[in-house]
Amino acid sequence: MTVNEILTWVRGPAMQFALVIFFLGVVVRILEMWLLGRTPDLSLARRSGFIPGLRTVFHRSIPAPGLLQRQPLVYLGGYTFHLGFFISLIFFAPHIQLFYGVWGIRWPGLPAYLIDFVAVVSIAALVALLVHRFVNPVRRYLSNGGDYLAWLVTFLPLFTGYLVAHESVLPYAQMLTLHILSVELLLIVLPFTKLTHSFTLFLSRWYNGAMAGRKGVAS
Amino acid sequence: MSIHNDSEFKSALDQLPVAEQRKLAARFAQSVSPLCKDSRVAAAIEAGLQSVTGDDKLTPIYNAVRGVCVESYTECGHMADWANQAGHFVAEAAAACVMPEVALHGANPAWDAAMRARMARTCASIADGSGTETSEAKNQYHLLDEYLNA
Amino acid sequence: MSAKALEHGINAFVEQIDRPVASFFNSCVHCGMCADACLFYTETGDPKYTPIHKLEPMRKVWKQKFTFWGKLMYKLGLSKPVTEAELEEWEPLVYDSCTLCGRCSLVCPVGNDITYMIRKAREGMVAAGHAPDGLKGATIRAVEIGSPMGVTWKTVQAQIKHTQENTGLQIPVDQKGADYMVIMSSMEIVNFPEYLGSLARIFKEAGISWTICSDATEATNSGIQIGSSDIAAQLVQRIVDGAEKLGVKYVISPECGHAYTAIRWEGPNLIGRPYPFEVIHILELLDQLREQGRLRTEGTETARMSFHDPCQLVRRGGLVEQPRRLLKMVASNYVDMPDPGIWNWCCGGGGGVSANDRADALQLRVFSRKKSQLDTARVETLVTCCANCRIVLEDGLEHYQMAIPVVGLTETLAKHLVTTPQETAKTETEQGEG
Repeated sequence: MTVNEILTWVRGPAMQFALVIFFLGVVVRILEMWLLGRTPDLSLARRSGFIPGLRTVFHRSIPAPGLLQRQPLVYLGGYTFHLGFFISLIFFAPHIQLFYGVWGIRWPGLPAYLIDFVAVVSIAALVALLVHRFVNPVRRYLSNGGDYLAWLVTFLPLFTGYLVAHESVLPYAQMLTLHILSVELLLIVLPFTKLTHSFTLFLSRWYNGAMAGRKGVAS
Repeated sequence: MSIHNDSEFKSALDQLPVAEQRKLAARFAQSVSPLCKDSRVAAAIEAGLQSVTGDDKLTPIYNAVRGVCVESYTECGHMADWANQAGHFVAEAAAACVMPEVALHGANPAWDAAMRARMARTCASIADGSGTETSEAKNQYHLLDEYLNA
Repeated sequence: MSAKALEHGINAFVEQIDRPVASFFNSCVHCGMCADACLFYTETGDPKYTPIHKLEPMRKVWKQKFTFWGKLMYKLGLSKPVTEAELEEWEPLVYDSCTLCGRCSLVCPVGNDITYMIRKAREGMVAAGHAPDGLKGATIRAVEIGSPMGVTWKTVQAQIKHTQENTGLQIPVDQKGADYMVIMSSMEIVNFPEYLGSLARIFKEAGISWTICSDATEATNSGIQIGSSDIAAQLVQRIVDGAEKLGVKYVISPECGHAYTAIRWEGPNLIGRPYPFEVIHILELLDQLREQGRLRTEGTETARMSFHDPCQLVRRGGLVEQPRRLLKMVASNYVDMPDPGIWNWCCGGGGGVSANDRADALQLRVFSRKKSQLDTARVETLVTCCANCRIVLEDGLEHYQMAIPVVGLTETLAKHLVTTPQETAKTETEQGEG
């Protein structure tokens, strides 16, 4: 197969396959979780947990007192790469073009040099966090194959994406192929790893805030 | 004058200087001291009876008897040994006698010791199943009466 | 332990896994921040005390039973089932190094309520027969005698008599139709009987109609601590039966952390129905009385005072403002220690830890955190409102040679109570039988 044929396949059937796995995987994960249900709490609530739950969904992003000082890298590195990842994904012109092709809507992007900078900083943050995972005693103790796999599939799209824009390692078409493959890898792996936190964290934070909130505690 | 109730008891105690409060505290503790054989408790009671003053002297005795208090608490979830508990309150009464000045903050050692001594008696009576027919409070009113009229 | 016991344990884990638990396990990214909030990690530096790690057996069961990939791996034999040895290894993690204090739940960036899960994990551990001996003993006593410390109605009567003599007040027993039913923890009956006297005096002044129930005096719930919902339900039912028999409007939960969690928050769920009465914590009631002008105090304590927030009452119970509002009535020199209120650090002995002698050394070791808080705030007298915290604090203070008295909040308020003249005129000789 020629380079262009591979690229076409990667953009086409392979992407469709990855998206199907992704959607199925996410739906199954959600159902597996949702169907477990939850017995209603019969104790007398001090107040409804609904608003406190919503509050915690946002408020939990703020580090707890003293913890930013204890583990600055976890928070700063974590926020940096998350934000960077989404900024690169959503505000890079070629991506906007892609989404326009699929959904018919577009929005203003950021200049390429800014995306470049964001990507580099995000990659650096990810690398720092990987090192931290080896060096910090708690993280080293907790970490398993799933953590390293999740890191890899998150790192690769950012890294290959940066290389596509710079054509330094491989020619454009090949690098783009690798980049799209890395995205497909992420999509396929996400529902079966801790990357599910990307959608379950909202529910977890909501439960936390609601369960505490109905007792009168702002968690 | 004769003491008949706790209000009279407390107000009479409050009127005494601290040194005398400590002495009376020691007498109240002494009344229940057979319920606790620890030498640190005996030392504290003796110090109270002798009106030992000065935090430099009181602190080591206090720390020692506090050790007995803490050792003899019945911890949560453990079977209560009421005889042991009686000893615990004797230690607390003895500790009240020798609490250093700096930690007193206006508390009345005699009153504190009296309350603890009564609890010691109650625990002892639970331990031997005799109920609380003999009231330690009456003993204490007697002791105070004797002291004031001496 | 037998294979049957292990099976019971796994089944109990399965039963305990609900939607929130699945959401929490799905969300954990192994960031390790829960360790930095946990007393047992911060004071020992041992990563095995990381809160989420304490849940590993239950997490495995969740993965293998409730996730596509986990089920597949299990079927293919690539994922091993939880073993007896693992449960044995995890027992000290779940029981010795966790007091269910709740700090981890407050800090998890993805919002996991790890405490909620550890409470559930204990159900599995206990079903498999893996719980500390001390806690098992306490639970057996609670079921058979009615109190984990062997307190009987006879001993309560003796304390009632003692209290009546000291206060000159009658303690109401089995009064049908009284508004409030008082329950007490064994710890208070054994170690701090002045609590009852304080209540009697405060209620007299406030004109509260109250009673003790001879069938239901015990507030503590070993079932909650060991993690057996069946036993916990049985113990709550005794209180509910007593309250229903007397037709009271409120049951007053005393100065005991886990007693409140048991009766206030878990109880209705354990027995499967809401109560026909309300549970009110003594501090809630005292705060209401304060607001209504029915709790009047005079004079203040001059010592530099601080408040230790019992985890189950404040962070996990919701009684955030009441303790300080009340304490400031009688403390002219009040200071907060670092990390006050819902952020306060556990005494280290709650949740069954103090019933477990195996955990003694660890408990004393992690007290260094409380010591550090007290040193920073230069506290002279420490006030709290949980009888177990009191003793754990005193133990720790003694171990670290710190001369700081620990006192109870209710009794401190009662010490400064403004009393109307009639009460003091009664003599102890005029008081009747208990």
